Amino acid sequence: MHQNSGRARTFETAIGILILVIMIATAIGIYVISQDYNMSRFGISTAGNDESEGDFTAIGTSETYNYDNLYEKINGKAPMYQETGFVKLDTQRFAAKTNSDLSFELYIYDMNSAKNAFSVYSRQKRPDAVDFNDLGANTFGYLAGNAICISSGKNYIEMIGSAESNELVNGMKEMATNLSAKRPASEKIAELEYFPQGTVAGSWKLQIDNAFGFDGLTDTYSASYKVNGKAVSIFLSKRKDADEAKAVAKNYYDFLITNGAKAVSVDSDILKSAGASIVDFYGAFEIVFPADEFVAGIHEADNKQAAEKAAEVLISRLREING
Amino acid sequence: MAEPNQLNSSRRQLLVRGAKAAASIAAAVGIARWLYDPKGPSGKIETIQNSILKGLPDFSIPRKDGQIISIVNGQDRIKTATQAIELLGGIERFVKPGDIVAVKPNAGFATPPILGATTHPDVITAIVKLCYVAKAKKVIVSDNSINNPASCFTISGIGKAASAAGAEVVMPKDSYFIGQTLAGGSLIKDWPVYCGPFAGANKLIGIAPLKNHNKSVASMTMKNWYGLLGGRRNLFHQDINGIISELAMLVKPTLVILDGTETMMTNGPTGGSVSDLKKTNTMIASCDMVAADAFGCSLLDLKPADLPYLALAQKAGAGSIDYESLKPVRAGMSME
Repeated sequence: MHQNSGRARTFETAIGILILVIMIATAIGIYVISQDYNMSRFGISTAGNDESEGDFTAIGTSETYNYDNLYEKINGKAPMYQETGFVKLDTQRFAAKTNSDLSFELYIYDMNSAKNAFSVYSRQKRPDAVDFNDLGANTFGYLAGNAICISSGKNYIEMIGSAESNELVNGMKEMATNLSAKRPASEKIAELEYFPQGTVAGSWKLQIDNAFGFDGLTDTYSASYKVNGKAVSIFLSKRKDADEAKAVAKNYYDFLITNGAKAVSVDSDILKSAGASIVDFYGAFEIVFPADEFVAGIHEADNKQAAEKAAEVLISRLREING
Repeated sequence: MAEPNQLNSSRRQLLVRGAKAAASIAAAVGIARWLYDPKGPSGKIETIQNSILKGLPDFSIPRKDGQIISIVNGQDRIKTATQAIELLGGIERFVKPGDIVAVKPNAGFATPPILGATTHPDVITAIVKLCYVAKAKKVIVSDNSINNPASCFTISGIGKAASAAGAEVVMPKDSYFIGQTLAGGSLIKDWPVYCGPFAGANKLIGIAPLKNHNKSVASMTMKNWYGLLGGRRNLFHQDINGIISELAMLVKPTLVILDGTETMMTNGPTGGSVSDLKKTNTMIASCDMVAADAFGCSLLDLKPADLPYLALAQKAGAGSIDYESLKPVRAGMSME
């Protein structure tokens, strides 16, 4: 009996020590991981290494921000990212080797999916953006003055320069190209292929929720077109099934009417057959219709004929996709 | 069946183990109790110049009709800021010889001046120099930055400009916060507020860039005081209009400067591209923060009704949205 109780005590002691070891190891592991500001996983050399990114070298230490402390870096902008699937942000500053006053800061946002990254990218895109077309598949980017912004896979990337300088822009472009080459984006945004040909370059936008002020329109893609010289914006949102698409289309129409829109006649036979509705919303035309599992339409068009023409092309394209 | 001695031994072991467990729990509770800080940042204030600040005093000066708000158009910030104050009666109206002046810029972010997210160094230079022209004893420039303070003051250029003009730049530290409660407020209740650098100051000047803001729609002179909040101040984003209006009640500055030379029209408050900025070439000086912000709306292509905090602040008596009724003094500088 004494032997048994002795063995039991030994066993309990061993279990207790094992538990303590696991807890300590976990704590050490968390500490080690939290100290890991290794930007090299993005193919970027960090300060303290002999390597640098071309004519620029990393300065200072890289920083990492998570969901809880993101506001400490970007303050009031944080909710926009947090509400769009944000996981974490890594940042690093770089300075020109020949002129330390010329610097830029690299921000790499992990947005958890290509769709989320594209959403924050497109919603912040500047009107005077100059698009890059050579960053690789599934990668979008533009230059706006002193800043380069990129959506690549699940990452939204910003490079913000300290000045408007050709040297700085060239350095950032080089890094953008290197980043894309080292970490090619494999995740595609399928919805972009649903749009008809002729999109105004770089005009795609994704509103994750509350598109056009209506909370029923989520995951809504839009793009700009020119129809007979008139600007038109096409939108589409893939729903769960055709029934949901019909319901959302009707609800959006009702939302517009409730908010002062006036129903107008549908002239196009194609639109009539698709069950499309057109409203005049304070001088701008809105068209909405369901097409199988899609809710689609035209947003804020100045010209009704151009809007109907664009809607016809969209209906044709969606029918082609759905077979 | 266990022997009586074995039963007694088991009971003893049980009691001993129970006592050890209870002691461990008591120790854990004791340590937790020792570490627990119900008040948050220390309510103690480091004495500065042998005076202890008991909160934020009223720094305002008596109003003069027709010299409450000035609006100057021009590109050169030093010239427009100087002119804006001149139109309100000159710096001598606001700063007296021997005064200690606290300047609160927006040094919230470690971003270069070109982005317009922080107070432009030129405005700091203009205001600090003017204070010394008025024979101020000392000018202190300080802010409770969002990013690392040293980086913010360096990269924004504010630190260099302030020092070059003769001001003392003060970095935040824990002991500079004191719990403050706004009488009648629902949000600022025993909340750590950054007061330390202003201890002993006679005058307070706020200098804010004019910006779009993702949460509050706009960031101007009233939002600038958000930088005085300590603790987890991001919690107030849930009632951003409420907190801004309460800050306007808590802080009564001598003067505010609103820099609309290059207004951040989109992607605020941090911006990121010069494309976010629009040259609106306007500098505003005001003894009425609500009026300054109400005018600032126009540069953002907004109406005062678009900023709920303006109405809240006016209702609380912080100022007047109808800036025109205050007869703003206007001037334009020739294109430089």
